[in-house]
Formats: sequence, C-alpha cells, structure tokens
Amino acid sequence: MASSKDISNQTLGCIFNIQKFSVHDGPGIRDVVFMKGCPLRCKWCSNPESQNKLPEIGYNHNKCIGIDECGYCLEVCSTKAIKTSTPDTSTPSIVINRDLCDNCGKCVMVCPAKAVTIFGEMMSVEDVLRVVQEENVSWRSSGGITVSGGELLLQSEFVHELLKECKKRGIDTAIETSGYGCWNDLEKICRYSNLIFYDIKCMDPDKHKKYTGVRNELILDNLEKIAAHFPQTPVIVRTPIIPEFNNSLEDIKAIIEFLTKIQNLKDYELLGYHAFGEPKYRQLGRKYQLEQLTPPKKEYISELNQKARALLKEKGIL
Amino acid sequence: MEVARILTPQEERIIKGQEREELTTEEGRKKRERVNKLVSKVRVTPPRVDIQRALLFTESFKETENLPMVLRWAKAMENVLNNIKVAIGEDELIVGNCGRVERHCILYPELRGAWLEHGLEDIKEKGAYLVADEDIKTVKEKIVPYWKGKTAHEMYIALLPEATRYAIYGSDNYGASGVMQDNANINATLNWAPDYKKVLEKGFLGIKKEAEERLNSIDVAAPENNYDKIPFLKAVIIVCDAMIAYAKRYAKLAKELAAKETNENRKKELEKIAEVCEWVPANPARNFHEAIQSQWFTQVGFRLEQPTTGVISQGRIDQYFYPFYKKDVDEGNLDEDSALELLECLWVKLANFVPLNATNAKSFWEGYAHFEHTMVGGQTRDGRDATNELSYLIIKSKKEFPLNYPDLSVRIHSKTPEPFLREVCDLIREGTGFPKLFNDEEIIPHLINNGASIEDARDYTGAACTEIRMPNVDTYMVVGGNINLPAALEMAMNDGMFTLEGKRQQLGVPTGTAEKFTTYEELVDAFRLQVEHFMKHFFIRQSALEITNSKRLAAPLMSSVHDVCMRELKDIHQPLKTGISKDTGNINLNGFGTVVESLAAIKKVVYDEKRVTMSELMEALKNNFEGKEALRQMLLNAPKYGNNDPYADEIAREIDAMLLETATKFKTPNGPQHIKFVPVTSHVGMGAKLGATPNGRKAGEPLSEGISPSQGADTKGPLATLISIDNAKSRKYANSFARLLNIKLSPQVVAEEKGLQDLMSLVRTFCDLKLWHLQFNIVNSDILRDAQKNPEKYRNLLVRVAGYSAYFVDLSPQLQNEIINRTEHKLI
Repeated sequence: MASSKDISNQTLGCIFNIQKFSVHDGPGIRDVVFMKGCPLRCKWCSNPESQNKLPEIGYNHNKCIGIDECGYCLEVCSTKAIKTSTPDTSTPSIVINRDLCDNCGKCVMVCPAKAVTIFGEMMSVEDVLRVVQEENVSWRSSGGITVSGGELLLQSEFVHELLKECKKRGIDTAIETSGYGCWNDLEKICRYSNLIFYDIKCMDPDKHKKYTGVRNELILDNLEKIAAHFPQTPVIVRTPIIPEFNNSLEDIKAIIEFLTKIQNLKDYELLGYHAFGEPKYRQLGRKYQLEQLTPPKKEYISELNQKARALLKEKGIL
Repeated sequence: MEVARILTPQEERIIKGQEREELTTEEGRKKRERVNKLVSKVRVTPPRVDIQRALLFTESFKETENLPMVLRWAKAMENVLNNIKVAIGEDELIVGNCGRVERHCILYPELRGAWLEHGLEDIKEKGAYLVADEDIKTVKEKIVPYWKGKTAHEMYIALLPEATRYAIYGSDNYGASGVMQDNANINATLNWAPDYKKVLEKGFLGIKKEAEERLNSIDVAAPENNYDKIPFLKAVIIVCDAMIAYAKRYAKLAKELAAKETNENRKKELEKIAEVCEWVPANPARNFHEAIQSQWFTQVGFRLEQPTTGVISQGRIDQYFYPFYKKDVDEGNLDEDSALELLECLWVKLANFVPLNATNAKSFWEGYAHFEHTMVGGQTRDGRDATNELSYLIIKSKKEFPLNYPDLSVRIHSKTPEPFLREVCDLIREGTGFPKLFNDEEIIPHLINNGASIEDARDYTGAACTEIRMPNVDTYMVVGGNINLPAALEMAMNDGMFTLEGKRQQLGVPTGTAEKFTTYEELVDAFRLQVEHFMKHFFIRQSALEITNSKRLAAPLMSSVHDVCMRELKDIHQPLKTGISKDTGNINLNGFGTVVESLAAIKKVVYDEKRVTMSELMEALKNNFEGKEALRQMLLNAPKYGNNDPYADEIAREIDAMLLETATKFKTPNGPQHIKFVPVTSHVGMGAKLGATPNGRKAGEPLSEGISPSQGADTKGPLATLISIDNAKSRKYANSFARLLNIKLSPQVVAEEKGLQDLMSLVRTFCDLKLWHLQFNIVNSDILRDAQKNPEKYRNLLVRVAGYSAYFVDLSPQLQNEIINRTEHKLI
C-alpha cells in the first residue's frame, strides 16, 4: 500500500492505540503499537477497530450521558449522520448513520464524556517514539516496543522506518503479524525485529478462507521464508483456538507437522477464544458474527497446550 | 491480549473456604504447630478493653500531686508494672502483656480522659470492641472524675484561640470538623522508633547504673549546678527497677506453673521461660530467645507508658536481632524453624494488642489501624547493603503468617541484592499488601539535608505509616493533624465562605469570588492564601500542643533509652537541644490529587478552552452537578495528574512548590514543621464532609489518597503513575516527607516468572525515580465486590489501606468503595 506522507514528507502511520505497560507481548514491560488496517476478516476478531485502514468514529453507548443534558454532537454534525435514538430507555441518546458519516471527527471534539471517539490517528515515526520514550525508565526491565495490528504489513514502509529507528536507539523490537502480505515487505521488517510473533490459524486453505476471508498459502510460505532468511530470529507461533473452527487435536497436529520445518521456532502458544471484543463491534455500528459461540474452557486450552507441547518435544522441535 | 482471571495466593485460600485462621503453608503448619494454635485464637472475638493500666496509673497519680511530672510518671509506671496481673497463656514462649493475654486494648485517661465518659459506651454499641459494663462503671467512678479538668487535651483546648479551635473541631472537641482534623492527644507523641539495641546490649541494670553514676556526681557546689536534673535521673532509676521487677514477676509465675505442669515438654518450656525472664531485660541478652523476650518486655513498657501514634515501632528488627541469631546458629543452638517460631510468637504478642483511638471522628482510623513498623533491608551505618539471613527469614515468616501483623516494610536501595528483591516481590504477590517499600535513595539525602550525619541517616527506620525516624537522633514531635486541601480550594472560589455543620460561614480569608478572577493565576493565588490561613491555624495548634505536652506529659522509660535525653538529662517531652528536632512530616495534607485535578480541569475548561464560564461551574458545584452531567464529564475528562501528562503534572509541581513554600513561613517554639502526605483513612472522612469539587468528584465522595491521583484517574499504567509522582515533586525545599503512594495491580500482571520479573523492574524503577514510598494492592476488583456482599466468606481478606494492611470486612462501606475504585492496572 502506498504510504501517507505529511507536509514535511514524513511517512505517517495510522495507529489506533499505543498500549502502555503490556507484559504479555514479548520480554519485559512493553509498549504495543497497534497499526490500523487488516486484509483478513477473522470472524472472531477481538479488535474490529483494527480492520479498516482509515480512522473511523466509535460510539460507546455506556459512556454517553444522553441528549437531555448534552446533545452537542447533534449540533456539530455537518452530514446529519448523528440522529436522536428512539428512546427505548429513559434517557434518549444518539445513533450514527455510518453511510452518511464521513469520519470528520467534529463530534469527537465536543463530546464531554468521550463517548464518541475516533479510532485511528495519523502519526509520524517521531510521534510514536515520543510516546514510547515518555516512559524510558521502563527499558531497564528489558522491555521495548511491539508492533501489532491490524496487520502491520499493510503499512510496511512506516513500520520498517519505525523499527529501524528503534534499533538505532537501542529499543528492543518485536512484531505480531498474520504473515499475510508481500515477502519483500515482510523481509524488510524482519531485518529490524528481535522477536516475531506469527499467527497460524489452521492448515486447511479452504477452511481458512471461510473463517478469515483469505487462503493460507501465502502465510505458510512466508513463515518458511522467515525460517530460511532469519534463522537467528526467534519466532513464537500462536494459534487462537476457536470452537467449531480449529479446536480439535487434529487441527493442532497438522499445524505442528508444519512447524517441524521452522528451525527458529522458539515457542508455540495456543490462545483460547474470548468474546471480549464484542462491545467494540457495537461501538462501530457493526454486528458481531459469533454472538452464539461459547468460549472454550480454561482447562481445555491448558490441556491442549500440554498436548501440543508434548508433541513438539516428541518431534524434537522445542 | 486478554488473559483469564488469575487469583493471588491469598484469594485462592479464601475462595477455598478455609475457616480456621492458620499458617498458610503446609510446612509452617507442620513444623510450627504452636504458632498455628496461637494464631487461630487471635481473631476469634473483637478486642476487649482492659482497664487495669488506666486504673493503676490513676491511683498513683492521685498520690503524687506534689512531685515533678517526670517523677509522677515513673511512680505511676512502677505502680502499673508492680500490680498489673501477670499471666502466661497456653503454648506461649514469649510472655508479658499490657492487660489480659487475649486480644485487648488499654486506656490512657491522662490524655483525653473526658472522652471516656461516653466514648466507651459508643464503641461498645458499635461492636468493634468489647467492654464490660462493670468496667465502664469503674472508669466513670474512679478514673474520669480524677482526670476531668486535668487532661492534656483540656489544657490544649484551653490554649487554642476560638477560631482555630472551631476550624479543627467545630462543635465537638473530641471529633473533627472535616476542614482540619486533629490527632492531638489521641496519642502522646508522633510515631516513634526507640533504640531496642541499647536494652539488648546493656540491660536495664546497665542503664540504671549509668543513671546512678550521673546522680552521684551531681554537686550543687560545682560550677554548673545541675540540681534540676535529679528528678529525671530518679525517674529513670525507678522505671528501670520497675521493668526488672515486672519481668521477675513473670519468672516467678513461670516457675509456679512449671511446678504444677504435668506435661513434661511444657514443664521444660515454662522452666526455660522462668530462666529467661529472670535474666532479661535486667541483663544483656545472651541468645536469640532472650533478645526477643527482652525486646518484647521493653515494648510492653513503652505501650504502658504512653500511646505513640499507631503503636510503638519495632524498628530495624533484622539488624539489632542479628548478632544474637548469628551467634546461636553458629554455635548450633538455633535452627531456622525455632528462630521462626520465636519470631512468630512475637508477632502473636503484637497482634493481641490493639490501639484504641479516643476520638469521635468517624472513619479517620478504620480497621484497627496499627503500625508496629517492622523494617528489614536497607544499608548499614557505613553504607554497605544490610541484608542478612534474618531479613530473608522475616520475609519468609510474613509469607506464612496469616495475620496483618507485624506491619512489615522493606528499605530498597540501588544495591538491594537481586535475590532479596525477588523474595520481597514474591511476598508482594501474595496479595496481602505487605511489605510496604521505602526508598533509601530519596530518604537518606533528605535526612542529610535536614542536618543528619550520613551514618545516622543510613540507620533510619520506618515509624508508623510512611514516616521515618533516626533513633537516638530525632526527638519527640507533638502529634500533627490534617488539612483538607480541596476545602481550601472551595474557600478560594467562594471568598473564604464554607458550609460547616450546616451553616454557611466565613471560615477562610476573604479572597473574592471566583467569578471575578480573570486569570487562572488569580485563582491559584487565592488558593495559596486559604492554604496559608489553615497552615497558620495548624501552627497555632502545634504550638499549643508543644506547650501542653511539656507541662502535662513525661516518658521516663522512653527517655532512658534515648542518647539525647541521657546526655541532656531531660525527659523526651521537653524541648531538647542536641537532637534533630526537625520533624519528618507533621503537616498532613489531604486531597493533593483532588486539588491538582480540580485546578487542571478549571484551567483547561474555563480559562484555556472557555467551554464553560466560572459562574456555570460554581452553580454546578453548588448543586452537586444536578442537571449538569455534560459539564461534569468535561471536568472528568480534563487532563489528569497521574498519567504522565505534562499539562496536569506541571500544575501538580507548581502546587507542590507552593505548599512547601507556605510551610516554611511558620515555626513553632520548637522549630519548623514539615509536610507529609499520609492520610491513614482521613481522606474518606474529610471527603464525606465536603461538597462537589471541580475535578468532577461528587459531594461526599472520598478525597484522593496520599500523593496518589484520584481513585481511577490514572489510566496509563503504573509506570506512568510513578513518573507523574516524580513530576509532581518540586524539590523546592527539603521539607517534604512521607509521600504515600498506593498502586493497585491485577494479579494477572504479576503472574508467573515473567510477572515476578516485571514487578521487580517496577520496584527498581521506583528506586531510580527516588520516590519516597510505594505499596501495592494486588487483588481482583470482583473479589472485593463479592467481599462487600458476602463478608462472612472473606473474613481473612487483607488489603492495603494507607500505609497499613487491614481486613477488608472491618472497613466502612465508604472506605471499601474507595479501595475498589482505585485504578486496577491490568492487561488489555
């Protein structure tokens, strides 16, 4: 994708969150930079605000104090996208017509309760590093930066520059990727990554397409290339365990079989599906497709993890 | 990524539904059955008021009106120590009590005797303490009538100008107005850490001998006639003898019990107790057992002599006990388990003494607050790391000991060994709020700045909540009080008017109403004048209390172990010249976060962005934001202190500088007073009496706590919070002490090996940033909510309140909510 530039010709990235004090996305205490935009449409996606490439308006009904004492957003909306909701509760609030909304953000500026927010902000590498280095005292914890998404490959030029600059400044780098993108882009980014988190969702290309919107050949191919070109860079492969999609031992066995080819595999983690992202779909005016799905039991996931681990050991990979 | 809920070890134990209170490790229960039995009995009933001390003390005072105060006190102590019932409980190894063996509290009628007239009935009704009707009758007939008109509190009140008195007390001289809050005469002095080492090394015979020699050398014909020192020296001799006699009564009792005992094991133990009590505290301790017994007897003496804020501190316990421990271990006379058993017998003794605060000020001291500050780690006097085997052992004991005793703290410094920090952080992960952390890198330079030698500074110990003391260098300070900063801000906006006890009145100074202020700076200036006004009240009260204490109080036992008193031959309640009388924090400021957030919100919304006029804001505050939710949301969403936001943090820094500067303008007869940020639980009580504030806080809600941001206002993770606390330090003067900081973490953040490593990094960051104090609550908020609903299931749930851990179910609903609402830093 062609990258955005600001007036001084700096590359800009669209970022929807910089999560401080993250402790589960690489060593130490880290800042996770979430890049906006993703070519996949996983049905279980818990960050729906990460999917579209451009900034978009979110509306949190729970934070909204209603139009009786407020209603500023109604006044400023120039496209008439914001309307009074049919008062099914005691306090009437608002609805946003997404077809009319042009994401101009005027409503965000006036909302006193921050119920209307904008997901996504155009930032330069320097902007991101300023935020990350505000807390530079945390680096003694061997922490660093983890670039995540969305899919960072959609903004590869920006991510490449960001990671390169981090390396220059001695900030530890990690990435989280779906691997769905052009190898040339991925290769450039891997050069500046100390640790790679890589998602493999399932081995069956058709099933993969049905649940994520894309086939998996490119993903698998790219991981093999990483193993070949960056044998020294540790890779942690993760699989989200989604009921009805990939939660059988057979699914996992198939993935492990593939992982025997990845010589720099450092770990393999299974993560249980959860529905915590569901409220965000409502904030974006979208429908969550897996409403009826029950998350797997904690015990089931830990059992599956143990089995996977045993298998990997058996094959001499871990 | 999101992670399933993880429980702390404490939460797991509670959820499993453990009924009996016992040691938390299987190893502990198996090897220390005695301790387990003792522990299980402590919290079975609420503490009982024991009136023996009050009765014996009063009896003596009636007989000694013609004597100087220090001698009267010594004689009263003698009467108490010679006649208080001695009793040895089943399974006890360490003996001696201030009343009954079981959980109890004692009374000090010389301070606030008149309060006892109704106070005992009130506390009985509330059920937090047990008290026999017969004892209430005795107190009313034999104790109160003697003290009425003679107590320290009455003298102090008489010395206060009406305006000062009213600002502090309103209509109840035993309560609190909520604008200021006064701890005067609830305790005889500020928190204190004595020099136990002296008793362990010299014994009271040694101390007495020194006093006798000084007494014999007094010569009225000599050039410096020091005849005036005689009463003090005689008093020291009397209390030394009384302490020795008291221990010997225990030796005798143990011998008698041993003779009757049929169980051979117990018989031997009782004989051993007899031998120990025969020897200490009269003589220098010869082994670990004697050292602990001697320290405890000394503590009992201090507790009987007078109440110090939060009870007497244990000081640097891993330092002064270490030589005895080491010697016993080296000679093969002590193993780790017997050492743990002795220490834990001492913890049980601590747990069975509960301070009772003679005050009507509700919610100012909740949950049986106690601070028998027990400190480990830190540095030696010559600047080496002081950690030793005993430091590790005490951390280990705290892990298995299920009660909120002792109040444990750790000194952290740049050379704190990694293995020790690891044990400390692992204890923090238990989730019981222990230990609290003190930072040598901040505290030692502060002490030097205030005139201490570098060796003395390195030897500081914690005392009470987040305060510190240098034994043998610091001298007594009279008890300070709290100022409600957000109330001062309200007055700054309302021409000094304030509604107290239902009446709108001129409580502050007239500084105009905020509608007339054209700039933010005018508002800050008005606030400064109101703060100055209340500081003036504070210094008036402080002076009145200094005068009162030197006339009405004495503490010959405490004085006998203090180098400065023994050098000057003066009681510790008298002004002393050769110590450092600069206090380590006495003016307690409440609601710093609330004020900073309020000013940031006004600056942003009213002056910078002009989204709201000052009149609108004032009107909304008056009506508690009724119908003005949009305005309240703007205020709530203004830049917030605690998030490493320069806009808010810069305001915090300016206000800090202003507060420190204002405090330097005043002095008491004894010297300057310093600022601290230690609310205990008064931020809840003060909040309850305050209207809505411009940070969006509604009327009656708690103020922010210590130096922490408002509950729930810090949303950028604990590192950002730490950095903001650092940003808020103006470093303008060296008069800012004891900045209490509470951080709540979700257990998942500190789970497993990685979580432990991250917690250690967080503590190292705290050390690097040179922040004064840090304590953690590691607890799931949903567990706290469940505990509110089902208290019976959570009797044992400990939480960190403010410088101390308390049982969650013992706290008021307001304080429980305050703790729940503190930001829980967790993973997203």
